[in-house]
Amino acid sequence: MNKQLIDYILNAVNDIKVTHKRERRIRVDVEADSLTTLLESLKGQASFLHLSAITCVDWIEENQFELIYHVWSYEEKCLVSVHTRINRDRAKFVSVYDLYKPADFFERDIYEMFGVFFIGSPRMEKFILTEWFGMPPMRKDFDSEAYVQETFNWTEYNPDWLQELTDQGGGIAIKPEDIRMAGQLHNMSTHRERESAKKDQVVGKGWKS
Amino acid sequence: MKKELKIKETQTKQKEQKRTNPLAHVFDDFIDFCQSKSLFMLHYCTGCGAIELPPAMTSRFDMERLGVQPMVTPRQADILLVTGYVSVKTLKRVILTYEQMQSPKYVIGICSCTVNGGMYWQSYATAKKLNEYMPVDVYIAGCMPRPEAVLEGLHRLKHNIKNDRKEQKGSAWKDYYQNYDYYLGNQQNLFGDEWQTPVDVIAEAKLYGLESDGTYGENTKKLEKVQQPLLEQEMKIRMKP
Repeated sequence: MNKQLIDYILNAVNDIKVTHKRERRIRVDVEADSLTTLLESLKGQASFLHLSAITCVDWIEENQFELIYHVWSYEEKCLVSVHTRINRDRAKFVSVYDLYKPADFFERDIYEMFGVFFIGSPRMEKFILTEWFGMPPMRKDFDSEAYVQETFNWTEYNPDWLQELTDQGGGIAIKPEDIRMAGQLHNMSTHRERESAKKDQVVGKGWKS
Repeated sequence: MKKELKIKETQTKQKEQKRTNPLAHVFDDFIDFCQSKSLFMLHYCTGCGAIELPPAMTSRFDMERLGVQPMVTPRQADILLVTGYVSVKTLKRVILTYEQMQSPKYVIGICSCTVNGGMYWQSYATAKKLNEYMPVDVYIAGCMPRPEAVLEGLHRLKHNIKNDRKEQKGSAWKDYYQNYDYYLGNQQNLFGDEWQTPVDVIAEAKLYGLESDGTYGENTKKLEKVQQPLLEQEMKIRMKP
């Protein structure tokens, strides 16, 4: 790995934070405006030809989406992860399709799962979830549990032999109905409240140890 | 939105034919016996439960000594074995597969996922109860069930096939025709009102003489509105320029 070259490319960008995680693993935090410039110079000058993945993280409390571009260079043998944050309310970003063709695939996936629209990406349409018309399901404010409670019915299973066991003091420690929480958590306002309530419930009705 | 549909409890209109031949029941028993001894199984391996099937089929547990053999196409299969979780997208394909199979046909649901969503119960993408969408003969619970349990389930199915007519129980596959409205309603809840399959189930029900009150209802009326007749597909080889 030619460290000087990579450092030279990275330091040419304003407001950049470079962290050397390991010998061949570099984390870079940049502003959203300079991301494409950085990727372009990485690709052009140090042959970072391979876009391994684009990842999206939903930071709901900071009202931001984090986009992470993993690029690999076959010559330098080095993986650079470029992190950037965009506003969650205006979830739009520039596509890097003209730099990396596989970005088409990743961007489509992120658009479907998180609802981040990539301007200039060739096919911003349904990909895997062709039967899904709700909000993007990987967003933190999508409550999968509440959706499941609203949509599906459950099989009830109370056989006689289980009743006999229960009478003797054995049987199932936590009933499935209790685990499903009967939609109580749906009414809680914030994510954090929901999490704490979940913990209480598990502790309250919880494991017979 | 969640709806709880109920199966109509009505008796079938099916006429009971008077059997004049004294040997008729003997033949019935013989047919049931033969049917239970030779079953072709189509395994729809969507989930992890499929990993238990190779040992169940091959020499260690040897499914074939029960007369059960894997089959490649739905048209020739008797059993549809749904192994593991069924996502909503997969469920469409499972239903298409099920409707292509010829009667009598049997469905076995393996793993907890087909019973109640299993460990994916929180997931927005998996369907929870398989028997809301198609009649299931035998459930084999477990995560995953061992090959012994799979064989036990097949034994139970064979027992059912042999004895259902004697004990005057309805078979599950008949239930799909007799209560088509219920199953269709559940399918429509999930896939939207424009859902239709290439198989005309109501026509098949007429053909088999299995029409009943449960065959028709609100949901089949919805289907009639959107149903398009099947057209012949043009056979064409597309050449690349």
